[in-house]
Amino acid sequence: MSQKINLSEVDKEIKQLKRTSELLMDQSERFPALQKNITRILASIKMLEINISDIVELDNEQR
Amino acid sequence: MSNQSIYWNPVLETLPYEKIRKLQLKKFQRIFSWAYEHSKFHRTLYDNDGIKPKDIQSFSDIKQIPTVEKSMMRDIQGKEPFPYGDALCVPLNEVTAYRQTSGTTGQPVYQPDTWQDWEWWAECWAQLLWAQGYRPKDRVFIPFGYNVFVAFWAGHYGAEKIGCEVVPGGVLDTRARILKIQELNPTAMMGTPTYMLGMADTAINKMKLNPADLSIEIITCAGEPGASIPSTKKRIEDAWGAKVYDHAGATEIGAWSFECTEQPGSMHVNDAFFLVEIVDVETGEAIETPGVRGKMIITALDRQAQPCIRFDSKDIIEWDTKICTCGRTSKLIKGGVVGRTDDITKVKGVLFSPSSVENVVRGIEGLGNDYELKVEKINDRDKITLQVEFVQNFSEEMDKIKSKLSDQLRLKTNLNYEIEFCQYGELPRYPVKAKRFKDLRK
Repeated sequence: MSQKINLSEVDKEIKQLKRTSELLMDQSERFPALQKNITRILASIKMLEINISDIVELDNEQR
Repeated sequence: MSNQSIYWNPVLETLPYEKIRKLQLKKFQRIFSWAYEHSKFHRTLYDNDGIKPKDIQSFSDIKQIPTVEKSMMRDIQGKEPFPYGDALCVPLNEVTAYRQTSGTTGQPVYQPDTWQDWEWWAECWAQLLWAQGYRPKDRVFIPFGYNVFVAFWAGHYGAEKIGCEVVPGGVLDTRARILKIQELNPTAMMGTPTYMLGMADTAINKMKLNPADLSIEIITCAGEPGASIPSTKKRIEDAWGAKVYDHAGATEIGAWSFECTEQPGSMHVNDAFFLVEIVDVETGEAIETPGVRGKMIITALDRQAQPCIRFDSKDIIEWDTKICTCGRTSKLIKGGVVGRTDDITKVKGVLFSPSSVENVVRGIEGLGNDYELKVEKINDRDKITLQVEFVQNFSEEMDKIKSKLSDQLRLKTNLNYEIEFCQYGELPRYPVKAKRFKDLRK
């Protein structure tokens, strides 16, 4: 399965998800429903980073 | 046959080990910097030894970093901010979960987690449950008290993350839990080995039910070493007609180790999320050689609110020479957690582990699950007394059993015991975790 999936492409999408979430977070100061749901989304994005992005970053550093 | 991956993370779990090591070093540098920058406790601890984040360039550098003991965490928690103290790395308003250790070895330690830490707990559990065969089709029954102890809370969330249907068997007594299993036909269950045996005992002796006729196919055990002790595992598997898998974790650490469906007699370390080191109990020297026991020093590489960096867990483990046939490339610890430095002691000059006695007792047909073990000093000599029970209504071949027990104990532990045989039901029963060994010399 790891051969069939392009980790770099997945990582790009994870970064995009994070950018979008952080953008929303910046607008959430007076909007608890937005702020707290984005907090949870960012926690899930962190799990994607430790599952996938950390490996991509390591590969990139070694190139 | 399902085309689902056998791995929760097919990348990380099959990574060449050399690459895992590089990942561990990179992640260690990251968590060390995080703790240094955000926690007064950690910064002071490392400054006192003249260690800065930039100094960590290799595993040899990591070995120079001071370890953290549970007693230090207790001292920290007398400080601000209440109740966690200055090891806390995030503002208090970002803490979303409180847990605490059981306090069996002293004052409980408080454990703060952010939502991200809690996601991480569930992630670790999702990986281990997947490795033990849990799938979205499973209905998982959790006969656990859902209290201040982390225990199976994270198992609950990990199973949900996989997509299992979770049945929380919280405020029910043992009979009601068994009836709930009968009613709902769950396929998997989690509990301590002591409680899994106790539940089976209640079903058989008080409810006249055979637990093996119920629907449970998978049992995940944690909290005690039992599921890695072959005779205890066999008893639980036989009683429930289910596969039993071990898992090791701790409140301050996380879910760091697990047995997979191959049941290799060893447990996988979740190497991508944890750095496990083994050191000599007396000298503190690193042990890299398989087959040599020492105590575990562990780092949780992604835990942020209250980091766990080079934590002296007091767990006794050893590296296995094997690589698991499941295809995971992580290192294995042979026989799981074989004991704790608090329990492993010298008796009559011989290194003595209570779990080896459990393996002998539960390996003998006719003896019950319960036993009590004590060591005392009489006239300057160590004396070990073992109390065992016969199973209910057992009356045959008692002399043979007595002789077999004595021989096996001598063979497996190199020690002689004063053995007392009791009737079924005479010895204490423990609801969740058993404390069967008492060293009265201390």
